[in-house]
Amino acid sequence: MSALTTAPPSHRADDAGSVGGSGSGSLGPGFWRRRRALLLLALALVVVVVGAVLLGSGGPERGGRLDPDNPTPTGGQAVARVLADQGVDVTVVRSAAALEDADVDDGTTVLVSDPLLLGERTAESLMDDRGGARLVVADPEFAVTDLLGLDVQGTRESGLDDVAADCSGAGSTLGDDLDGLEISVDRAFVFPELDGCFAVDGAPTIAETDDEVLLLGADDLLTNDQVLRADNAAVALRLLGGTERLVWYVPDPADLADDEGVGLGAFAPDAVVPALWLTVAAVVALMWWRGRRFGRLVVEPLPVSVRAVEATESRGRLYRRTGDRFHAADALRRASRRRIAVHLGLPRHDVDPVALVHDVAARTGRPVAYVGSLLDPRGPLPTDDAALVTFAHLLTDLEKEVRRA
Amino acid sequence: MAISGRVPLLVLLGLVPVVLRPEISTVWLWLAVVALVVAVDLALAPSPAGLAFSRRPVGAVRLGEGTRTELVVRNEGRRSVRGRVRDAWQPSAGADVDGPHANRHPLRLAPGDGARLTTALLPVRRGDLRTAGVSVRLGGPLGAAYRQRTVDVPGSVRALPAFDSRKHLPSRLARLRELDGRSAVRIRGQGTEFDSLREYVRGDDVRSIDWRASARTRKVVVRTWQPERDRRVVIVLDTSRTSAGRVRGVPRLDSSMDAALLLAALASRAGDRIDFLAGDRGVRRRVRAAGSAQVVHTLSEAMTDLDAVIAEADWRALAGATQELGRRRALVVLLTSLESAVVEESLLPVLPTLTHHHRVVVAAVRDPALDELAADRSDLAAVYAAAAAEQVAARRRATADLLEALGVDVLDTDAERLAPALADHYLSLKARGLL
Repeated sequence: MSALTTAPPSHRADDAGSVGGSGSGSLGPGFWRRRRALLLLALALVVVVVGAVLLGSGGPERGGRLDPDNPTPTGGQAVARVLADQGVDVTVVRSAAALEDADVDDGTTVLVSDPLLLGERTAESLMDDRGGARLVVADPEFAVTDLLGLDVQGTRESGLDDVAADCSGAGSTLGDDLDGLEISVDRAFVFPELDGCFAVDGAPTIAETDDEVLLLGADDLLTNDQVLRADNAAVALRLLGGTERLVWYVPDPADLADDEGVGLGAFAPDAVVPALWLTVAAVVALMWWRGRRFGRLVVEPLPVSVRAVEATESRGRLYRRTGDRFHAADALRRASRRRIAVHLGLPRHDVDPVALVHDVAARTGRPVAYVGSLLDPRGPLPTDDAALVTFAHLLTDLEKEVRRA
Repeated sequence: MAISGRVPLLVLLGLVPVVLRPEISTVWLWLAVVALVVAVDLALAPSPAGLAFSRRPVGAVRLGEGTRTELVVRNEGRRSVRGRVRDAWQPSAGADVDGPHANRHPLRLAPGDGARLTTALLPVRRGDLRTAGVSVRLGGPLGAAYRQRTVDVPGSVRALPAFDSRKHLPSRLARLRELDGRSAVRIRGQGTEFDSLREYVRGDDVRSIDWRASARTRKVVVRTWQPERDRRVVIVLDTSRTSAGRVRGVPRLDSSMDAALLLAALASRAGDRIDFLAGDRGVRRRVRAAGSAQVVHTLSEAMTDLDAVIAEADWRALAGATQELGRRRALVVLLTSLESAVVEESLLPVLPTLTHHHRVVVAAVRDPALDELAADRSDLAAVYAAAAAEQVAARRRATADLLEALGVDVLDTDAERLAPALADHYLSLKARGLL
């Protein structure tokens, strides 16, 4: 909001200069070394994300109740496997489109394992257009029977133990082969208005409607943990394995047509949406209020200025990049020689290096050869970087010794 | 136009009708109401064109000292106005010295009334610092909307060089007085001028007793001398590329100006005449024969809006301009840098002409960072940098030696030492009568 947002003038170019300096330094190998930790962290993050995506995309959720691929206690994998082993062609279908492609006919049984997720259109096509296939609906609570257009309502019973088949009133769909079997399930829907088998007080848990739809109120008998109770397994096999082919349809919420789903909006008060719009308008007004500048932005004409030592620093980097060790070492040696000569009171110019070496050796007690290797212009120069650093340190130490002596 | 903070609140107040009638159309209706309120308020707001502004000249101020600017506003319309005024200056003028919004003033004027709006300024940069327009916001009766307008009310504050080396002036003036004949201590030298005879007092050098004059009177009489007067000092300030470099955060140019001001102040008190030149490719400033007590102010004014440019100095042109100032022998002080390439290419060819006629002093700022760079040998990069620094220092030294061989006095010191060192050198030349 303040119009005075331009940079304060002082030392700004100074900062820019140092930034530029480190910027050109980052071209060296030190760049990756300095940022190694950050790089590793970024790499680990990428691995975790990619791994999570790969694992997560292993397929859609298989954890649903009575899902044929779900091995947990509530899943239906055991029944699906056993049916497949018995020679039944088990086709698992997970979308409405795949169900249409499945070519159901009168030699097929269609099991809808989670009908609460059925869309209206899929339910209609299941009821009207299934080509004579048997339709078995698990978990037939009221919403499901209502969706399927069946005018029946089941009630929930729990703790059903050893319920006998007794299919006396059943029609064509339920054959005599269930006779003599007993089921035990924790909970089941019973349908007092319908005929069927395994009745509790006259209300069958597996009921048959007029449209030859089998309502499997006792669908618990298909679950992995209850299938071994009583004769549950036999009942399951006979219900679902009666035909050559079994289409196991697991409805997918993604199949719901646009208007069939129920959104969050249905539960919110009516005023929420208009209030949200009003809030958006208020935020826009707020931005206008705060964003309108009180007069124009003021610019500061900044003068040219650079750090004076900048050129020298870049000259040093140039020496380093070209690996000009001889030149660098010679400059250091020359400077040390001059400083020592000044300290010893010798003439600054044209000082005899040999005399200087002897003088320094005499003062410091160092061998002449050693001092000569450092100060004599004809002495050996370092050939690699490590030697150059050592050379520089030795020169500094020698100067200190001369000063102390 | 601009809106006030009441408008978003007014929009939010629409939540009440929305709750009572939860329809999208309620939102539109409410927004229409708000828009109407803003439009009516804007239409009722008085026009900022009815205000007349004027500003008194601010004048000059030394860098680091504060001043204030007065903006006079008159309501020439027929309605009373209520609103705010922002007196904008470029950031380095320091209009925000009293807080980030210190240059915004509330305004409430009846028709025909006037007001004085005072804004404190604290320049942080040398030069002419300008205003950036006066913005006015006048509100309507509901306080929801403003009419806004920006008008140019020209004005500037001139920030003169800081002249931090002023603190060295009293001690140098005392030294100057010691050179003077009035003082008991005198220096005899080749160039000192005979001033007068006066009675001997204790402490006077017995060698200065004028026996012939003493014989004529009954008292012992001594000759007194006074330092040379009415000499010329030419200060040449280099504003080229090399003076843009910052040493410890201060541009070389500013250190040079500081030294120039101290020398000018001292030389004018010593009775010398000061000419001033500044330039790079050509002469950018020329001040002739400033010998009065006003010299510091005159030079400050001349230097204040000088900035370094990215160009090499053309010493041929600068030396020519120096010669044009007069052929009489002078002390020529070149405030530049000892960059060997520049010196060898441009300055060396013209130096003989200058040294032939004048006494030449080259004063340059040494960068202590160079010594630090040369001393740091902690790792490979530092060793290479140290080698480069030694190389640069050696060339600098060679350049200085070369200049000295040509009969030029070279002062190569740290920035804060430059001004006193130059003043001391001037005093020593004067004492030895070498001007």
